Amino acid sequence: MVTHSESLTGGPPQNQSRRLYRGDGWRTLALGILCVLMIAPLVMAVIISLKSPSQFTRVPFLPTWPLRWENYEFAVQIISQFLLNSIIASGATVIGVLLLSSLAAYSFAQIRFPGRTFVFYAVLALMMVPASLTLVPSFVLIRDLRLINTYWSLILPWIAGGQLIGILILRAFFESLPGEMFDACRIDGASDWQIYWHVALPLTRSMLGVVAVLNILGTWNNLIWPTLTLSERKMWPLTPGLYSYMEQYYTSYGRVMAGLLLGSIPLVILFVFTSRLFVEGLTSGAIKT
Amino acid sequence: MKKTLWERIWETKTGYLMVVPTLAFLLVFQYYPAVSGLYRSMFDWNAGLAGNFVGFSNFIELFTDDDVFIRSLKNMALLTVWYLIAFVGLSTGVAVLIHRIRNEGSKYFFRLFMILPVIIPAVVLILLWKFIYDSTIGPLNAILIGVGLQDWTHAWLAEPKIAIYAVMFRNFPWIDGISVLILLAGLQAIPVEIIESGLLDGASGWRRLRYIELPLITGQIKLLIVLTIMWGVQEYSAVWAMTQGGPIDSTQVPGMWMYFNAFRISRMGYASAIGVVMFLITLVATILNMRYIRSQEY
Repeated sequence: MVTHSESLTGGPPQNQSRRLYRGDGWRTLALGILCVLMIAPLVMAVIISLKSPSQFTRVPFLPTWPLRWENYEFAVQIISQFLLNSIIASGATVIGVLLLSSLAAYSFAQIRFPGRTFVFYAVLALMMVPASLTLVPSFVLIRDLRLINTYWSLILPWIAGGQLIGILILRAFFESLPGEMFDACRIDGASDWQIYWHVALPLTRSMLGVVAVLNILGTWNNLIWPTLTLSERKMWPLTPGLYSYMEQYYTSYGRVMAGLLLGSIPLVILFVFTSRLFVEGLTSGAIKT
Repeated sequence: MKKTLWERIWETKTGYLMVVPTLAFLLVFQYYPAVSGLYRSMFDWNAGLAGNFVGFSNFIELFTDDDVFIRSLKNMALLTVWYLIAFVGLSTGVAVLIHRIRNEGSKYFFRLFMILPVIIPAVVLILLWKFIYDSTIGPLNAILIGVGLQDWTHAWLAEPKIAIYAVMFRNFPWIDGISVLILLAGLQAIPVEIIESGLLDGASGWRRLRYIELPLITGQIKLLIVLTIMWGVQEYSAVWAMTQGGPIDSTQVPGMWMYFNAFRISRMGYASAIGVVMFLITLVATILNMRYIRSQEY
């Protein structure tokens, strides 16, 4: 893929490449307008987030001075609790998902146990069960297990659901590793547990990153489930937390916008640190399913 | 020396041990709720009570005696068609535009920019649009008044005839970053020799797109169509956060109606039946997906 795009820029003779790419101007303009429109709501949010209520009443959508940074001070006090909850729930989930899916994927890919194909398809079949079928029974199950108002009500179902895509991606990766390498380890007397921990896992670090990013994106944006199992709003993760924050302070527009912007920052930070995995995960993960 | 089945099982016991945690989680939190959902859809079941077996009467009621559910199906179809236009159609256009940009710098910039809607949490965009639609202080009405179109202002999310379109047209200009990136990856994977030989045969501009590029990314396009349909059938968080299905059920979608029945009026069996109908709709989409994968292989 990379070689193709490189030869695209350097390879073809001059007259052909001109025919290949004429008319950059209007394309740049069209895409530029699109980008401006995409970012417009965020610009609006930034402008409003720096206004006091009276400033908003006088000039709602243009900047006013002095800038009211205290809106952010107010928002951070409330948002930080939601953020902490999110880190607990999504963090515990991602650890569980990485552990369970890498173990199962290693077993499916490298150990020829009888019944392996059947078990793998039994796992795969669940990809076709949508959340809508299981929403009501899952809630009743969590209630019967007396997990309501605990973070386990988020973590346990999220691990169960999140490991599916992880198993798919990691199994494909473990299968692509040379089998001779694993055989050599076995001949040297290593157990499968040792091979998994000392050989397979270190080799698969970047794929584990892809699985982690996909999983965090999935649980982080879950809006409705936490509102069902956690009746106390101060336990809510960031996504439903932002919803309840906006409901509660709706008429203090500056504070609402400051909160929404602050609430967007964690994913942006995650993106900055994992941008390569992000793009890889979004494109490769989707295509392989 | 042929080993017996038991010897083979004993030799590979580590393999079983490694999948046991996964299977335990799946049995408790995936298989049990799925089977229970199918089973309970045949009960008149309220929270906390044992419930009576009622056969298929929940399903009969859904399709013969529940106008709200029928309306929710219509809204679902409308929204899904719209998501197809926006996520697949529009995204293809944007991906082709970006692909044809000559300047590597601006190409990289636009590609990076497409990630923006992915890294801004969906709930933040939904809530920002709820604010944009606000009838008294929202910027949409302010813009309309500003350009002299007072007659066009509306209480966008509170008027039954308009609310569903307001939900539909949120996130203008509707670019879906994930779709654009997937399609762009497909376009960039097309060998340059194919494009060059097409150019020698005189295919440029529109014909290059129609006869060379689009046929070579049909795999990605079909995948996005299936994913978008499955998502469109399930999705109700935007409705949940913006209107809760109102005003007077005009923005109701199946997921929201299921939520309402289960958690507001405690008709759990009836809600399970709605879940089963949604499952069957996605199952059809998945089967189409499988057929498409097979056609790709041969």
